[in-house]
Amino acid sequence: MAVGEGTMNNSLQTYQSQWNERLPALPGCKLLSWRAARQKSMERLLQIGLPTQKMETWKYTSGKLLSQRGYTLPDPACLGLDPEDLSPYLLEQQESNRLVFVNGLVAPFLSKLHDLPPGVRVESLAKVVNNAPDEWEPYLEQFLTGPDQGFSELNHALWADGAFVYLPEGSRLEKPLQLLFLTTTSQNPMMTLPWNLIIAGGNSQAVLVESYATLGQAIHFTNSYTSLVLGDKAQMRHLLLLGESPFAHHVGTLQCTQTMGSRLHSQLFSIGGKITRQDLHVTLAGTEAECSLDGLFFAKGEQHMDFHSAIHHTHSTTRSQQLYKGILDEQARGIFNGLVHVPSGVEQTQSQQTTANLLLSDRAEIDAKPQLEINSNAVQCSHGATVGSLDPEALFYLQSRGIDFATARTLLIHGFAEELLQRFSPASVREWIERSFHFGGVHA
Amino acid sequence: MKMLQINDLHVSVLHKPILCGVELTIKAGEIHAIMGPNGSGKSTLANILAGREGYQVTGGKLLFQGDNLLGMAPEERSRAGIFLSFQNPVEIPGVSNARLLKEAFNAHQRHQQLPEMDALRFRDYLQSRSQQLGLPADWLLRAVNVGFSGGEKKRNELLQMMVLAPRLAILDELDSGLDIDALAVVAAGINALRDGQRCMLLITHYSRLLQQVVPDHIHVLIDGRIVLSAGAELAVLLEERGYGWLSERVQ
Repeated sequence: MAVGEGTMNNSLQTYQSQWNERLPALPGCKLLSWRAARQKSMERLLQIGLPTQKMETWKYTSGKLLSQRGYTLPDPACLGLDPEDLSPYLLEQQESNRLVFVNGLVAPFLSKLHDLPPGVRVESLAKVVNNAPDEWEPYLEQFLTGPDQGFSELNHALWADGAFVYLPEGSRLEKPLQLLFLTTTSQNPMMTLPWNLIIAGGNSQAVLVESYATLGQAIHFTNSYTSLVLGDKAQMRHLLLLGESPFAHHVGTLQCTQTMGSRLHSQLFSIGGKITRQDLHVTLAGTEAECSLDGLFFAKGEQHMDFHSAIHHTHSTTRSQQLYKGILDEQARGIFNGLVHVPSGVEQTQSQQTTANLLLSDRAEIDAKPQLEINSNAVQCSHGATVGSLDPEALFYLQSRGIDFATARTLLIHGFAEELLQRFSPASVREWIERSFHFGGVHA
Repeated sequence: MKMLQINDLHVSVLHKPILCGVELTIKAGEIHAIMGPNGSGKSTLANILAGREGYQVTGGKLLFQGDNLLGMAPEERSRAGIFLSFQNPVEIPGVSNARLLKEAFNAHQRHQQLPEMDALRFRDYLQSRSQQLGLPADWLLRAVNVGFSGGEKKRNELLQMMVLAPRLAILDELDSGLDIDALAVVAAGINALRDGQRCMLLITHYSRLLQQVVPDHIHVLIDGRIVLSAGAELAVLLEERGYGWLSERVQ
């Protein structure tokens, strides 16, 4: 029996009994198809189990996650949260709309949805599914396709809420929309399982900011799943900001399907959590579809961050770009695994993958692995991975100008991240990132 | 007034002696030049003054305005008024010239208990200085030394020197990588900083720079020792005869 398997079986049993207990009350369960979908996910989970170290793509992270205690699902409770409590995690009031979730459930009184264009819907998925379960039934199958992986199945079996965003054809969100997921401290460590469905119709345009944070220093587990569907020529910028407590575990999946001429710009910034695992799966399922995945992560102490991307070029003339940069201090551990898949018969695709990593301590570690599965000759494909430490020459140069060591170090770390930092907008996001950089203790 | 005082300085790198009893005194307002063949220890002397790691001082004294330099960190030496223009300035991706200059200038201001300069005024000030050196308009936004030509890197060093206004400027091979026109611009910049108080140490192989920035004293460094000191006229002699005859004389 591998490390953690015993604990895993215990926690699976716990989740199964919680599922049995709660199923009738979970969103959509009045309708057979939704109930069946949950049932199917639970059965699949019991069949495949949670990921183990034996799985190549989980070898660095599964043991750590599974050796942890069991988590309980949150109960709807009236939380005395004040909008003021949220302010550190919010984008500028004037420049964004927001839908806020507390402990996995929508918090309408903390949300702000003004002047949405006609036809645009931003709601609680639980509400949408309960009120009109058959409306979204045709999409179910599409939403549920994704990585065949225990944590996703657990999410699909047990999700209690999440965001539902619908952009009709040709619509355009002028202001960024923030989806904020907050977890509070509780007696028993909680697992929240938000499922977000985002449907961008043809020619629509939007900027979405999906952010995860903890109020206080809670121990909790976030198991999130975001399904993104981009119609023909839709343009989506999706920011994922991971800033949970240093005791939190986060397993998340972003699953995106793109059709003809659509463009996804995914931007990830990760600084929080004790153990973070984020998967990005993009399927370029239409000619001229394009995706660009940016990632910046900063880990210190005993933080562990694991990023897996998979881009499937299923159509000719599709393009993908990736730039992931990691900064690792103290005993932190980082993983970047980038899969690019081009099947035979698919031609004239372009893909670029770059990962650069900065180690600030002898004990920090990074595993950067490109994984190219190219079965077609008529493609352009490049990849590169680098690992380095701070340049002592550059440190001395800055010091020789009167800049103290700690400031010089911060300048160089900032300089390493600058290429990605300047791509983040709106400005309030960039400022938030820069602040967390400093608060995160980049200083020696 | 003595600004810099070097007495019987011995320095080794990995137990190999590089400087073997250097004596040098620079008074306020003076310009000294150190010339010598490759490997004679010129750059070691510059680096030791700026506080670079990797050298072992095995003997002697190094005083700046009466303070022992050997116990001071590089940033403390800079704030005390020492500036090294690097022979090969390092490239720093992601850090703009403006950012470096602002951080450095304000660190100096704080050290002197003076207020930090207002960001807009500082930008105007920097712009006029960089124009003076013939640097392009987008200069301040560009990353430090990244993609700069050899001449641009040297002009950038000079821009930093103008902003920090040091009491002792050590210019290590400032003339390398400069064409004649660029050398004239740089020389004019240096001469503009001569004010009777500030002192300079020019390190060079060639007399070219010394025709435009005329030093008060020239010293020849060979095998870690100053073997000859004279006035500005020595440059002409060295240009004609090289260093060979001096090496022979030492041996």
